[in-house]
This record gives sequence, structure tokens and C-alpha cells, in this order.
Amino acid sequence: MAVANPTLRPAPIDAFPTATSSAQSETEKVLLQHLPADPTAPPTLNKNPHLQFLIRNIVQGFPARYTSQDASQPWLMYWTLQSFSVLSVGIDPGNKQKAVDTIMAWQHPDGGFGGGPHQAAHLLPTYAAVCALAIAGRPGEGGGWDQIDRKKMYAFFMSLKQPDGSFLVAHHSEVDVRGIYCLLVTATLLDIITPELVEGTAAFVASLQTYEGGFSSASQPYYAPPSPNASNASNTTPTLLPSPRPPLGEAHGGYTFCALAAWVMLQPFLPVPASSQPHPHPHINTRSLLRWLVQMQGAPAELGGFRGRTNKLVDGCYSWWVGGAFALLEAVGVKVPPAAPSSTPAGGEWDDVDDSLLNRKALQEYILLAGQHPAGGLRDKPPKHADSYHTLSCLAGLSAAQHRVFPSPERRRVLEGAWKAADPEPTTTTDALRKRVFTDALCYTEEEGTETIVGGAGNRLNATHPLFNLTMTHTDAMMGYFYGQVVPRRGG
Amino acid sequence: MIPPPSALYSARQEWADVVPLPQYEKANPLAPILYSEECLSFSGVDRHTRAKNPPDRDATDYLRAVVKAGEKSERVLQLTEHVIRLNPAHYSAWQYRYETVVEIQWPLDAEIALMDELADKYLKTYQVWHHRRLILTLSKKAREELAFVANILQKDEKNYHTWAHRQWVLAFYNDDALWAGELDFVDTMINKDVRNNSVWHHRFFVVFQSGVRDGEEDRERVVRRELIYTKQNISLAPNNASAWNYLRGVLEFNKLPMSTVATFVKPYTVPLPATLVDLVDVENPPPGKGAELPCVAAIEFQADVYEEEARSASVDKAVELWKSLAEEHDTIRKKYWEYRIQQALLSV
Repeated sequence: MAVANPTLRPAPIDAFPTATSSAQSETEKVLLQHLPADPTAPPTLNKNPHLQFLIRNIVQGFPARYTSQDASQPWLMYWTLQSFSVLSVGIDPGNKQKAVDTIMAWQHPDGGFGGGPHQAAHLLPTYAAVCALAIAGRPGEGGGWDQIDRKKMYAFFMSLKQPDGSFLVAHHSEVDVRGIYCLLVTATLLDIITPELVEGTAAFVASLQTYEGGFSSASQPYYAPPSPNASNASNTTPTLLPSPRPPLGEAHGGYTFCALAAWVMLQPFLPVPASSQPHPHPHINTRSLLRWLVQMQGAPAELGGFRGRTNKLVDGCYSWWVGGAFALLEAVGVKVPPAAPSSTPAGGEWDDVDDSLLNRKALQEYILLAGQHPAGGLRDKPPKHADSYHTLSCLAGLSAAQHRVFPSPERRRVLEGAWKAADPEPTTTTDALRKRVFTDALCYTEEEGTETIVGGAGNRLNATHPLFNLTMTHTDAMMGYFYGQVVPRRGG
Repeated sequence: MIPPPSALYSARQEWADVVPLPQYEKANPLAPILYSEECLSFSGVDRHTRAKNPPDRDATDYLRAVVKAGEKSERVLQLTEHVIRLNPAHYSAWQYRYETVVEIQWPLDAEIALMDELADKYLKTYQVWHHRRLILTLSKKAREELAFVANILQKDEKNYHTWAHRQWVLAFYNDDALWAGELDFVDTMINKDVRNNSVWHHRFFVVFQSGVRDGEEDRERVVRRELIYTKQNISLAPNNASAWNYLRGVLEFNKLPMSTVATFVKPYTVPLPATLVDLVDVENPPPGKGAELPCVAAIEFQADVYEEEARSASVDKAVELWKSLAEEHDTIRKKYWEYRIQQALLSV
């Protein structure tokens, strides 16, 4: 029996059990029951039941237990549509049109999208709605893309901006790096990202990194007391102190993904142009970040899934938040140099091509063995139910573990060569920035011949963009349209 | 607390002046939620009405209508509370509730009392904590807040929002009276579960990230205290990533070399000796008799100590340790340990 395998030893308790170690042991017990009886049998991705799960939700509707998601309707739509895309399933024009009409009912008259019709605009549903439109929408009348009010959306974004470079997720709401990620994706896709919008944001994101290496959700700003001789104090921007600027909350997988992706999207805007900023050159510690990310992968007794915080349990959703974050490391300078032939481990073909820093094989096994619900849809871990959120997170994580997607210098050159300045031509600086944002985002490419698919070709999923979680095709189409560019065809 | 309404809004006289606003003007949205009457138990509503007009839809139809009309009144507080109880993540209801509280100058004490109940019930929603923060910002009453948070933490000792809220209370009010008992509180929580990473993070926040507190001006003494504290806790349960991460954090934050604790780490990198010497060494507490050694985190730490020395002989020793992690003690991270070897060899 497979449990006798010495690499499956349980997490050590040191004869000192606590609530954390007890929960851990219970989870390991359950997970080990999901090891296949025959370890040589390839695990299968049960695409058909998953498709049935998605179709049931989208056509018949979500069961009543989703009522708690009443303020997250764009998310339900995005999770479902993007799951279809990752599974390489297209949507018929009739349902696409229905999707667009439904999504557009969520746009707020003052800009941005809400969690449902007549709900207040909020950064999270704005991301979900715009990404859902990238999948289901198109230019022209009734297609959604031209009906997005980008001017008002920009004004909405600016109205949420805080003096420490962060953004509220909605009026009177919290600051949370998920909101910043959502804002930056939307602004990048729709060509409304500007130096004004993101001034100070990189320094805020950097302030979220904790001593563990991962990132928290927000940090607390401190400001210098207003100068007594300032005549009109309410009119002056408070001066942010460089320290203390403590993170509120510990390092966490979801926030770390959002912070890292935000950091990557902010690269074209660094260093911050205004020299009056207290931190003209914010930086993050990529060494401790990498260490934290790899430490989140569970042991063989946890089937190699990812956890979201130190000493917490593995959960399928971190397959994407943490597993998917590895593809962004190259953009921040963490790159595995090609191994010299002599030092290549003698582990067969797999090791020859796999230069990633996570254990791609183990992550795929976790999703295939523990992440799939027998009745369709994917989940946190057994014996939990499947839901839309975990279905996309697990599928996107599985996709990230199958494909090596990286910022290709070659693709960047092709995009730069094809770039056309807007007409009438804006200032050179503006044009250079737009071009940089565009090429930075679209140069992500799948490396040829590096697919590593556990269980065989039948389990293959579409590659997904590591910043946006949209397919390359949908990303190219939407950005090409809003930037007024013809995106050169991808090779192969 | 305002008692929950006993009938659908559409059947109530006091709401007769409001025309409910349905979600979708078009009949057939894609991916609709199939709202159910089961979400709420209503007394005095006949089955027929319920089936036709589910209560959660009924309440949100009226909320949309009052938001559209801009009404801010006591009955709006009642309505938003109702919607929040149906779905505590309904951020628009929270947002409108806050605006109403401010506009009609609703007593903040009453609002916090309601929040005490809702935080307890809906611990995992962002909004329940943020609304509390908005009200506290207005009322400036922080006195009892830490005790409230400590009590809520009993229910879920790793709840992200609760910890972030506690840190906000301390950082925002920045009042020495609030800070005074914080290290004792951390101690109590770590004694309950030494593996609770939220508490370790909180300790770091308290000791290092919020400025120097009264009585802590001697930073060398503080660092020494933290190192001893962490080492003691590692000796209790050596395979505890939270404590090792804290140890690394203390050293890095204070720009101390990793070799500062090399003597302590060494015994944790080898199997437990058959006979344990019973000695008290405060600086270098040895592993206890239940320790499962060697400990992966200790081997990793030891390798970093060697790498830090940056001499070729010591890098060789680091490489040996990384190899043992890649091939024996921590095979899941094989690629990462190989990467470390490659990087170290490149830099020699």
C-alpha cells in the first residue's frame, strides 16, 4: 500500500500537539485516502462532469446557497466563463450576447461595475465584469466593449485614491491589495492606466511585504502633523512618513499574488516621476518572497497542494494564488539559469525541461487526486463541496502547473516592431509608456516544448495569462482593441 | 437591536410609499442566482406569497428603491440591517447604512452594540470589520476594543480580519495605554498554540513595526529578549515554521548575521542524541525529548549560515546540506534547493 512510502511521513508533531498540528494530522489522513490504489494508473481530469457543473450553473442558474454571493454576481460570471476558456470550450453567440447584456446591467452610472444591478461600484466586481467582457464581449453595438464608460471608470478609480498611494475598494470601504490588483488589471486592459493614477501605489504595495516574505492585505500609514502656519490645512496633502508603515495581517497567498502582480504591472511607472515622494525607489525583497512561495507547497503527505499561510492547511484555491505566482517571478528578476548539461539530474525527460521552482508534478497531482469533486466541479479539499471559485482556481492552477508561461524577449521585440502611435500622436512620454504597458503585458508566451502534463495529453488545459487569468487569445484581442493595435499572430 | 420585520415589505403598511426596484429589468439574466425562500424563516407569511416573492429578493428590491430615492431614515437602518443579516457581504447595504448613520446622527454606541453581535456572527466578512472601524473612527472609543477582539479571537484564533483589526486599533489610536498589555496577550496566545502564525506575526508587529514604545528604548535588550523567546519556543516544538520565520525576521530586521544563532541551531540539524543532558542554557536551549530531528527548517537555516560566510569551503558545506534537503529531507522542494545550490556556486 502506498502509505508505507517513507516520503509520505506525516508532519512532525515533536510530541507537542496543538490545535494547529491536530487539524494538520486530520487533513493528512483524509488526503492520503485519495491516493490511487494503483500508483501507476495516470490520474484523469474529469472534464465532462466539470463542464456539466459549469453549464448547469450558467444556464439553469446557481443554487440558493449562492445567495450569499448576491453582491458577487460578476465573479460568478467570470469564474464560470473563464473556466470554460481554460477547458478550451467556446460559448455560443446567443449565450455570449446574454452574458454581455447581463454584465452591462452591473455598470454603475458613475463609473465602474457593482456586484449586481443597482449595487454600488466596487473594484472587485469591476475586474470580474471587465474580464468576463474580455471573454464574452466584442466591439460595436451591444458588444459590451464600447459600452464600458472608461472616462467615468477612471474618475471612479481616482475618487478611491488615498494619500498613501492605496485605493479603497469602494466608497466608505476598506483598503485591500485585492482591490489594487483589480484596478490595475482593469486599467491595463482598457488603456486607462496613467502615472497620475498609480503615483505612490508601488510604495504602498512594497509596504505590504512582511518579515516572512509574502504580502499582507493592507498597511497602516502615518502622516506628519499638519504645519501650524498652513493657512488652509484641508487643502494640503498630508505628508506620508516613510516609517512606521506596518502591514496589517500576516503574509497570505491571495494577497501575495495580488501584490506581486500589482508590482509587475507597476514596473513601467517606476521610479515614480514625482521626486517629492518619500520613497522614490520602492523595492521588494524577491529572495524572501521566493522562499515564502516555495514554503507554501505542502509535503507529499498533503499531496503537494499549496497552503495560503504558514501553518495553515492546503487548499485548492492556492493552486492559482501561490502556484500561479511563480510565473511572475521572472518579471522581477528571479530566473533559473539554464542548467549545464553535466549537472542535469538523471531523472529522465521531465527534469530536463522543467526549470520551474515549484513542484509542478506534485501540484497537478493534488488537483487531480484531491481537488476534483466526483459530481463535477473542483474544491478546496475533500470532503468539501465544489463551487465556482474553487473550480476556476483549481483549473487555473492546474494550467499554470502544466505550462511554462514567461515574458518572452522575442515576442516583446515583435510587439514593439508592430506598435503604432495613436492618431493624433500624444506626447512622446505618453506614447512610450503606453507602448511599454502594452508590450509588458502581451509578451507573455508559452515556452515551446515545456508542457508537463500529469496523466497524459487528455488532461491538457489552455494556458492562462499569469497577470490577468484570461487566455492569451482573449488578452490579445481586448488589449489590441483598446490600444488601437493590430496584435501580430502568435507563432506555432 | 431593531427586531427583524415579521412580514414582507410589500405587505407592510409603513413601506407602502416605496415602489420596489427589481434587479433585472430584462427577464433572463445569464448565470442567475436562484434565490430561495429557505434563506429566512418568516412568521406570518403565507406559502403562496413566499414562493412568488422570496424574502431576500423582497428586501433587496426595497433597498435598491430607497438607495435610488436617496432616503436616509431610521427605517433605512432597519432595512439595511435586514439585508445584511440575509447576506453580510452585501457591501452596498453596508455603504448605505454608514451614510445613513452619519446623516441622521444615529447613536454610535447603539451601532457598535449591533456590530458586537454581527462581528460574532459573520466573523469572516470584510464588511463587518470595516463598518466597525468606520464607527470607531467617529466615536473614538477604543477603550474596550482590545478586550472585544480578544474575546472574538477565541472563536477563530487565526481569523485574518480579526487580527488585522486588532493591529489597526493599536496603530490607529497609537495610545500607550492600549499597547501596555499587548506582549502579555501575545504570550497567552502563543502558549495556547505555539504554531499559530497569526500570533507570531502580531508579535512582530508589536515589537518591531510600530515604532519604539515606552520602556523599549534599549533596542539591544529587546532583540536579545526576542531571540531568547523564539529559541525557547523552538525547543518546545522544533518543527514549527512560524517560529523559524520569526527568528529569521528578527535577525534580518535588525541587520544581524544569521550566524548570531548558529550555536543554537546546530543540535537541531542532526538526529536527537540517545541520552539527553539535562541542562538549562537560556541562550541555547536544546531540543526536548519528543523532538523529531533533524529538523528541515534547522538544516535550511544552517545552510544559510554557511552561505553567509561566503568562503568556498563554507559554500561547499551549504551545498551538502541543500543536497540533503533535495534528496532526503524535503524532496517536494527539490527544484528550489537545486536552485539555491546553483545560485551559491555562481556567486563564489
